[in-house]
Amino acid sequence: MPSVIDLHHISKVYGSGNTEVKALWDVSLSINQGDYCSIMGPSGSGKSTAMNVIGCLDRPTAGQYFFDGQDVAQLEDDTLAVIRNRNIGFVFQQFHLLPQLSALDNVALPMVYGGTAAAERRDRAAHALERVGLGNRTHNKPSQLSGGQQQRVAIARAIVNRPLLLLADEPTGALDTTTTEEVMKIFEELNQGGITVVMVTHEPAVARLTKRIVWFRDGQVIHTHMSPEDVSYGALVE
Amino acid sequence: MDFRESLKMAVKTLTASKLRSGLTMLGIIIGNASVISMVGLGEGGRRYINEQLQSLGPNILFIVPGNRETRELGGLEITRNLVLADAEAIAQQVPSVIDVAAENTTPGLINYRNRNANASVIGTNPAFITVRNFTTEQGRFISGLDMQRTSAVAVLGNSLAERLFEEQVPLGQSVRINNVAFEVVGVLAVQGSNLGVNYDDAIMVPLTTQASRIVGRTSPYGIEVGFISATARDAESMQTAEFQITNLLRLRHGIVDPKEDDFFIQNQDTLLSIADTITGALTLMLAAIASISLLVGGIGIMNIMLVSVRERTQEIGLRKAIGASQSDILIQFLIEAIILSAAGGMVGTLLGISGIGLLSLLTPFEASASVGVIVVAVGVSGSIGLFFGVIPARQAAKLDPIVALRSI
Repeated sequence: MPSVIDLHHISKVYGSGNTEVKALWDVSLSINQGDYCSIMGPSGSGKSTAMNVIGCLDRPTAGQYFFDGQDVAQLEDDTLAVIRNRNIGFVFQQFHLLPQLSALDNVALPMVYGGTAAAERRDRAAHALERVGLGNRTHNKPSQLSGGQQQRVAIARAIVNRPLLLLADEPTGALDTTTTEEVMKIFEELNQGGITVVMVTHEPAVARLTKRIVWFRDGQVIHTHMSPEDVSYGALVE
Repeated sequence: MDFRESLKMAVKTLTASKLRSGLTMLGIIIGNASVISMVGLGEGGRRYINEQLQSLGPNILFIVPGNRETRELGGLEITRNLVLADAEAIAQQVPSVIDVAAENTTPGLINYRNRNANASVIGTNPAFITVRNFTTEQGRFISGLDMQRTSAVAVLGNSLAERLFEEQVPLGQSVRINNVAFEVVGVLAVQGSNLGVNYDDAIMVPLTTQASRIVGRTSPYGIEVGFISATARDAESMQTAEFQITNLLRLRHGIVDPKEDDFFIQNQDTLLSIADTITGALTLMLAAIASISLLVGGIGIMNIMLVSVRERTQEIGLRKAIGASQSDILIQFLIEAIILSAAGGMVGTLLGISGIGLLSLLTPFEASASVGVIVVAVGVSGSIGLFFGVIPARQAAKLDPIVALRSI
């Protein structure tokens, strides 16, 4: 399997001198196409910084990052924007839907920036909403949807441009147990459909549902293993 | 992202918060409405004055007492050194002049039986009616004989006649001017006001009678007059007439140095250009004052857009995360600012035009909005949006998506 994410000795350092903070230090990590992987670790462990680098939202201070074979570590903002638009889908804890737009328009937004024609946008957005089980809610505004439904709209938005990678940052953090299960089921289905899924999570129950777990601590990867083998490793770390 | 999409997006965002958008536009609306109505008012005033001056006729010359320089500088110093004999001399000795009228205006209290009116008493000579192109509605105008005999006869302006006599026939009746009895021999047709004098509300008497019975005083040189108006034979002889009159009056007043002139001559063109300068400056001043509110409106837009960028950091972060480039964000916010100000400009224009309609009803000016002013006003307010939108839009475009997404 070719790797989608290939981090080579990545470091991210904020500030300098006495106030220097090593958010990431010499991290090397490879995630293959089709992987379903969760990133765990205590807060301040660098997992969010790692997510930002992996998601091409942030540039590392040092090291190389091959995304789908291309070194993207030091590309321009606008070039990174194009990569994010075409190849990466984002799902956030707080959903981040635009309140003034309908579910359909929210889902279609990445295609607007990608320059897709209006008719195709509508078809693909409707199809993506069907895929997450919201085919009948296309015209609802986010305020008219439940938390679980909003997160599903956000997932539809993340997959509408058929990305290589789906990055989820605490996707179930704001959801109850039932809707968490629904959302995790969608992630699993998407992964079975061939999308690489990487998520940051605090919850062992959620991490257990993924195929692989990467542990961060003090800016470094300290352990990776195949799930569900010993998720309680976290207890040792923390 | 293409422009149409940006436009749609901006419209959606702005209509999502209608109250705020409306209030943001208010500054521009008021600014634009005031610019358009003020310029309209200025233009109306200019046209009104021009019409008045043009109604004088192209061949008329005004000989006014005072030195051009001192009069223009001093303003209030009015000398009375033109006399009736000057007017008569011009009529007799200047061949390029057909008719010469002299006028002297004093305030007076007019009464007829138990009715009183304050009105201008204009002492003049028979040529007045032809020089000023007036007509009588009833009776006759002052005659040469009236002048010789200093007859106590009077010609009433149209509305003064109506005020004093209502339905009755004024001819042959006796009115008192400052307690001196005059017989009404004529009534003028409606003339409207002219060069600031409302002839409809005035009473005309022979200049000689005015001097002896109302003013009761003559200068050593003869009967003083306020100004003399003369008609030239035709438009071509205007310059000749001006030259000849100047020479004649210098001779009569014993003036050698032109700088010492105690009179000056104006014609329709010089009056027009003076009036144009004044009304032009007034219009400009009105427009300048009104533009300040337009500027304030622009600053208001910048203010709200800055707040909006703050409030929408998460939206901006999200848009960037899913692939919006810096220029996409910049254009989105710029378009929002431009739409706000251009829409405000259009609403303001409509408001300004209705304001002009109202002004036309309330003032004698035919105020009007020219297409040019409207195009400029909407264009300017659009550019104000662009100008004041740049700072907030740049701020939005420069936002770091990570920071923006994190902020809650």
